[in-house]
Amino acid sequence: MTDIPVLRLDGAAFTHPGGGGISGLDLSIAPGEAVAVIGPNGAGKSTLLNGLLGLVPLSAGTMRFGSPVTDDPAAGASRAHAARGMIGFLPQTAELDPDFPISLEQVVMQGRYRRLGLLRWPGRADRAAARRALETVGLTELAKRRFGELSGGQRQRGLLARALASDPRLLLLDEPFNGLDQQNRDALTDTIRSLKGAGVAVLVSTHDLDLAKVVCDAVLLVNRTQLAFGPVDEVLTLGNVQECFDGVEVELDHHTLVVPGHEGH
Amino acid sequence: MNVGDALFGAFALPFMARALIVMLVLAVVAGVVGVLVNLRGLEFISDGLTHAVFPGLAVGLAVAGSAGLVPGASIAALSAAIALTWLHRAGVTADAAIAIVLTATFSVGVIVVSRSDDYAGELEALLFGRVLTIPPSEVLPLVTVCAVALLAVGLTLKQQVYRAFDARSSRASGDPAFVLDLVLNGAVALVVVAAASTVGTLLVLALLIVPGAAARLMTQRLWLLFPAAALFAAGAAWLGLAGGFAASVGAGLDVPAGSTIVMAFVLAYALVLLARLVSDARPPSWRTRRSSRAASPAARSSHGPAPAQGMR
Repeated sequence: MTDIPVLRLDGAAFTHPGGGGISGLDLSIAPGEAVAVIGPNGAGKSTLLNGLLGLVPLSAGTMRFGSPVTDDPAAGASRAHAARGMIGFLPQTAELDPDFPISLEQVVMQGRYRRLGLLRWPGRADRAAARRALETVGLTELAKRRFGELSGGQRQRGLLARALASDPRLLLLDEPFNGLDQQNRDALTDTIRSLKGAGVAVLVSTHDLDLAKVVCDAVLLVNRTQLAFGPVDEVLTLGNVQECFDGVEVELDHHTLVVPGHEGH
Repeated sequence: MNVGDALFGAFALPFMARALIVMLVLAVVAGVVGVLVNLRGLEFISDGLTHAVFPGLAVGLAVAGSAGLVPGASIAALSAAIALTWLHRAGVTADAAIAIVLTATFSVGVIVVSRSDDYAGELEALLFGRVLTIPPSEVLPLVTVCAVALLAVGLTLKQQVYRAFDARSSRASGDPAFVLDLVLNGAVALVVVAAASTVGTLLVLALLIVPGAAARLMTQRLWLLFPAAALFAAGAAWLGLAGGFAASVGAGLDVPAGSTIVMAFVLAYALVLLARLVSDARPPSWRTRRSSRAASPAARSSHGPAPAQGMR
């Protein structure tokens, strides 16, 4: 691949100040590539996303966003900070207060705040970008509706529109398919595909293995540390999945398999 | 005395005009800051700051007389705002710990005041305010304190709302959470300073919390909340001052004007609440004749979201 990776981690670890985290991360994501982060609950998937967003500190290794390799840690750090401007983030809708008095359109506009800074208010270009983002997720009609009144799937797509409005080069999605009906799942996978076509790199945390097969090029298997990273078919083997999901029910190729736990140790 | 005299004529008197100017400026700023307090759920921190400001007032008074009130209170309130923001960032969420520190500072204030000659009179002025006896020299400091609070919140307004709605995404997009919290808590502290000098430390919380809560009842539209809260607070402050004047001058009842102002805030809130309940309780057929935007949110959610093309 001649493209410079959008994201590259070498021996990286993210550790919460209070302890706990995820370590041993070696991966790179190219423009237009989608990577699924798969692991059981508590495996550190959210910690990885928070680390990339700068909310959990990098405790080992290096993290590079789209810039050539540098050996100067100070330059690397400041470049990483600046590069965060190119990350779009899709939180889980359950984190948000449904009574908050804000319209869908205003939520999408928040995606533009980073380029506006403190003093400037949204102008014509920002409104156009917000409109385009709403169009992409098919919610143009509901722009004026209060965010909390939308259905779960519509809120999810609204937050995706906010992430898109920031024109990201790397999009992070935190369990985006939780609680979505089939129609909204299809709409979301379609959107991810068209983003990939436009050269956006995507990192999706999920425990839905089928999703990984449908829309992702590579899989990162984690459980407190990186277990495997590579093309979907090579990584999602029975052995790897059993090692990762220890005694948890998993769906693979439309078969539910229960990975036996190791009792008595 | 007729109603017109109380509402308009009274403010021809210099001391009433000063009270009105300070109260209107304070009300507008408290309304705007109060909306953010409501959206962030910072009522407890605001309560804490009203306690912290008291020793500042007391020490300021002891050191420099009434000219020391605003500076003393500002220093105490801003230090408390920094301390509370830092404690929160350090992960100290124990409400009890904050309550202990702040009631301790309140007792320090009482001790300082009790050392002065006119203990009862000064304590009363600090607790219940002295909006009708604001000296001309204090109008500018009070207006300045309010203006700084408004500027601080105004410059960070859209980021403050973003943080209130979705703290994680706001941080992810590079907004400095600690700075935003410091600015907001500082603005709350300054409003508390100005309000403590007018309606008194015991009644400050009404100015900061009632207009924001009333605005939430009046509108669901984000950028209307701020003017709604400001107008609500300004109107209630004016009526409260006029009511206090009518009671003391017209009816000969000696009531502190601070308490009639707070009473006006609470009564106005009750009216807004009543109007909202009536509007929510009307049968849906009444509402469909009006524009859909004017319909209450409860009504809209009971109808369900309007169908849009190919989605639910």
